[in-house]
Amino acid sequence: MSFVSTLHSGKFIITAEISPPKGTDTSRMNRDADLLKGIADAVNVTDNQRAVMRMSPLAACGLIQGKGIETIMHITCRDRNRLALQSDLLGANAIGIRNVLVMSGDHPVKGDHEGAKPVYDVDSVQLLGILRKLNEGFDLSGNELAGRTDIFAGAVTNTELNEAALIKFKKKIQMGASFFQTQAVFDVKSFSGFMEKVNGIRLKNVKIIAGIIPLRSLRSAEFLNKVPGIKIPDDIVRKMKDSKNPEAQGMEIAARIIKEIRPLCDGIHIMPVGNHENTKTILEMADLL
Amino acid sequence: MIISRLKEFDEILQLLTQKNIFMIGCGKCAKKQHTGGEPEVIDLKEKLKAAGKNITGWTVLSSACSINSWEDVLVQNPAINKSDALLIMSCGGGVSVISRYAGISVYPALDTESLGGVCCNEIVTELCGMCGDCTIWQYGGICPETQCSKSLLNGPCGGAVEGKCEVDERVCAWDKIFERLKELGKLENLEIIHEPKDHTKKSRGKKV
Repeated sequence: MSFVSTLHSGKFIITAEISPPKGTDTSRMNRDADLLKGIADAVNVTDNQRAVMRMSPLAACGLIQGKGIETIMHITCRDRNRLALQSDLLGANAIGIRNVLVMSGDHPVKGDHEGAKPVYDVDSVQLLGILRKLNEGFDLSGNELAGRTDIFAGAVTNTELNEAALIKFKKKIQMGASFFQTQAVFDVKSFSGFMEKVNGIRLKNVKIIAGIIPLRSLRSAEFLNKVPGIKIPDDIVRKMKDSKNPEAQGMEIAARIIKEIRPLCDGIHIMPVGNHENTKTILEMADLL
Repeated sequence: MIISRLKEFDEILQLLTQKNIFMIGCGKCAKKQHTGGEPEVIDLKEKLKAAGKNITGWTVLSSACSINSWEDVLVQNPAINKSDALLIMSCGGGVSVISRYAGISVYPALDTESLGGVCCNEIVTELCGMCGDCTIWQYGGICPETQCSKSLLNGPCGGAVEGKCEVDERVCAWDKIFERLKELGKLENLEIIHEPKDHTKKSRGKKV
């Protein structure tokens, strides 16, 4: 079943994130993809995430889809102007990519090419609008396309939203975002508050997929606590600190969070630190497999 | 006001391959910011002299970017005729105008950063991006094109941490926009969906 159909079937969605390689060696990426086959409803492929230059997600999605795995291609506004974004979306459609996740993208100064020109010709709301036009058979300038795209659009969100961010969330829905993947959730209570907030404004068919990062060590917890939009409660940090087997502890915490948020949202999105070796086990621990 | 900053001294020294240098400061923006007024010209002149450069003379024009006649500048400053190069302590506008008429090598001593302003002795940077299509009123007088590090027109990104921009810890422009619109009772402006900017309105992008 396609990701879109699964999303609307009412099944609790499982997506997982893969990063294209820094280089041309795709073996690690392929291994991760193989680990996720038959487990994830779709695999997200990141777009120079954290502004670190990597292989194009368009190419990586092509390779992963060749294995019979549906992908969600990330597309940021950081690196391409409106021409390049549209041409990549046409190309994505041509090679069978049916889902994209639209986001502004971390600023170049956060990555490994600090001096790069930040493009941001359009923002995520506008890019969603562009995709909607392409799906209708027209480009941004209103020119008719020889063949429209058929791409399902998602967007991203933090789980702590101030009023301005909440209005932007609403604009993303207005411009065609059908699902949202959230920043990593560690605090179930605060996530529940977020869901209450967005349930007040989202249409029923707009799905929320909660981000999950299984911690691997105290260091990974401390690092993630500095990432925008992530807040790890003290008791989790303490558990990681006290644990003799932090990797297993991190898996347990992830499984517990998944179980607790399952009644609140429409799915989860696993973003591991490193590879997907533990993903299947975590999903089993969370009674999802 | 054009916001500028003095280049590193070593960089200036490397630029100046010629021997006889005449220096020109600017009595407008650079003076106000203390990057190119009389004290700064004199200070740099002394350093260049100490580094072995022959400074043939100096002046501070009332405005480096707005010169009535280059002939007048030459009449007032005959030492320019005995110089191999000019070192300009003004924004890029001033350097460009002088380069156009001087007929000898012209070097910038400052780097031009942004279009800002000064109010009650406070210098504020990066206020206007000169996009040629001003919609600043919709944002409570705070231009997201310039003040948001990603030029986002439809709301904040998710990168701010405790209200600080992910780029340089400045207060998130969108928090400022929100607060200002709230003060003005115009929060409904946040609901406007802004289309992508038309860059043909910038002077360089104008359609012929």
